Amino acid sequence: MGLLSILRKLKSAPDQEVRILLLGLDNGGKTTLLKQLASEDISHITPTQGFNIKSVQSQGFKLNVWDIGGQRKIRPYWRNYFENTDVLIYVIDSADRKRFEETGQELSELLDEEKLNGVPVLIFANKQDLLTAAPASEIAEGLNLHTIRDRMWQIQSCSALTGEGVQDGMNWLCKNVTAKKK
Amino acid sequence: MGCFFSKKPRRKSPEKDSVLPAGDESATGSDLPETNNTALGSNSNQEAPKQYSWDKREKVDPKDFMLTGLKNETVGRLPGKLNGQQFVIQDCENCNIYVFDHSATITIDDCVNCRIVLGPVKGSVFFRDCKEIKCVVACQQFRTRDCKKMDIFLCCATQPIIESSTGMKFGCFQYYYPELAFHFKDAGLSIFNNNWSNIHDFTPVSGETNWSLLPEDASVLEHVPLPDSESEFKSVRISTEASRSIVPLTKGGRRKESEESCLFVFFAGDYTTANARKLIDEATSKDMVLIQTKEVSMRPEDVNRVFQNSAEGLTEWITKGSVVALELNGDGVVEACRAMADEMFNGTKVFVSESKSTSSHDVDNFFNFADMQMGL
Repeated sequence: MGLLSILRKLKSAPDQEVRILLLGLDNGGKTTLLKQLASEDISHITPTQGFNIKSVQSQGFKLNVWDIGGQRKIRPYWRNYFENTDVLIYVIDSADRKRFEETGQELSELLDEEKLNGVPVLIFANKQDLLTAAPASEIAEGLNLHTIRDRMWQIQSCSALTGEGVQDGMNWLCKNVTAKKK
Repeated sequence: MGCFFSKKPRRKSPEKDSVLPAGDESATGSDLPETNNTALGSNSNQEAPKQYSWDKREKVDPKDFMLTGLKNETVGRLPGKLNGQQFVIQDCENCNIYVFDHSATITIDDCVNCRIVLGPVKGSVFFRDCKEIKCVVACQQFRTRDCKKMDIFLCCATQPIIESSTGMKFGCFQYYYPELAFHFKDAGLSIFNNNWSNIHDFTPVSGETNWSLLPEDASVLEHVPLPDSESEFKSVRISTEASRSIVPLTKGGRRKESEESCLFVFFAGDYTTANARKLIDEATSKDMVLIQTKEVSMRPEDVNRVFQNSAEGLTEWITKGSVVALELNGDGVVEACRAMADEMFNGTKVFVSESKSTSSHDVDNFFNFADMQMGL
């Protein structure tokens, strides 16, 4: 038995795996966020036709992130991915005011889903780098986030493109995953 | 703002809580008594709320970056007036809209019977609930939803998608104005990466097609006229001639005329773009047809897989930067390309297919590799 394998056995419990579901309307920036989390190039991203998965190490966790396409036609398939989700990340295009109502509606339906009961939700108010972006506070108000009583939630403004704000959101996520998994 | 977020009863001072300091860009809510959860940015801890770059930047009037509710007008933006910002177009009817600058992203909602030119967009162009639109667009992503009857001369870096849309027709981007080449660079778009002809439909209907290709000889000018000579755009020297188009015209998914194709690759150097254009001009003057182009970076391990028997000596060349690859088609194209390489590009590092028998493999190997490289 080599030294390395002995060391491996001595190491404390393996990285806890966390299953993250990344949802939101089409064109919201989910895949950009996924690539940003994986520290990959984000200058050439194609609209997601099915889904993307990546595993990312973060703060002692192994995050398995499932990025699902958000076109209206394929939202019915979201439910195929609910099971065993540890955290829901919901991405909103803060600069697409025309679709605030639609995104609020989809989020509301998700929070009513039995298979997502109690799952903490991190809402990224994305695209803050854009001019007409509404601040997170305005979005929180419009979405009535304060009425969420049955789970941990957080709204975090960010730009998935530049990365700003993303880590802050993930810090909250990692803190609250432990709480849930206990 | 603070009053909207759920607070714990143990908070000391309700008045203090009702106003969160400016710049609070995150908030937490939880009523679960068993967790200790302090709202970030609340007054109960000493830290100042986090300030992000969007909190500190100069506020601008969003209306300066929107066109709303216009009818029968010629409007848009001159070069330098948008400078990479977001742009929003909505509720316009019978307008000629010219955005002659690069932008971050553009959404177009509820427009009818408009002719639109959109300069290079770094992110996505998204048309929603529009009908009878004729446009010229360059972007990284092209999306539509609930649209009807649109003619689009497109340069798109990724696969365009449509949803719940019908009567959509696509052709290759064909446009020129003096600053356009710079706008492509500013938007981070390559003139050689254009997936204009392979559309993904999220709502295909059996027995019908929601999209098709415009006829090859479609005239841009007949679809999207030049701006009125009395308008603010009269100073912009536009050309819609095929030979002047900043984006090389490609046949894309249209049926090829000949069975013989040739792969021609330019390696990184100071004049790569100029050389590629020179070759395209020369080849098309000899009645060769440009099928597709790609600008992509390669790693040493890709060289053998892509160039196989001809890979010798190429590895050092791909490390210098992106390569530009062209597929040319026509009877005798391989011989013609080899001759042009000798005559015109003697001192330049290029790869040209060796023979008719190997050239279709070259093309497949390269463009399959490029597609994978540029997918996720």
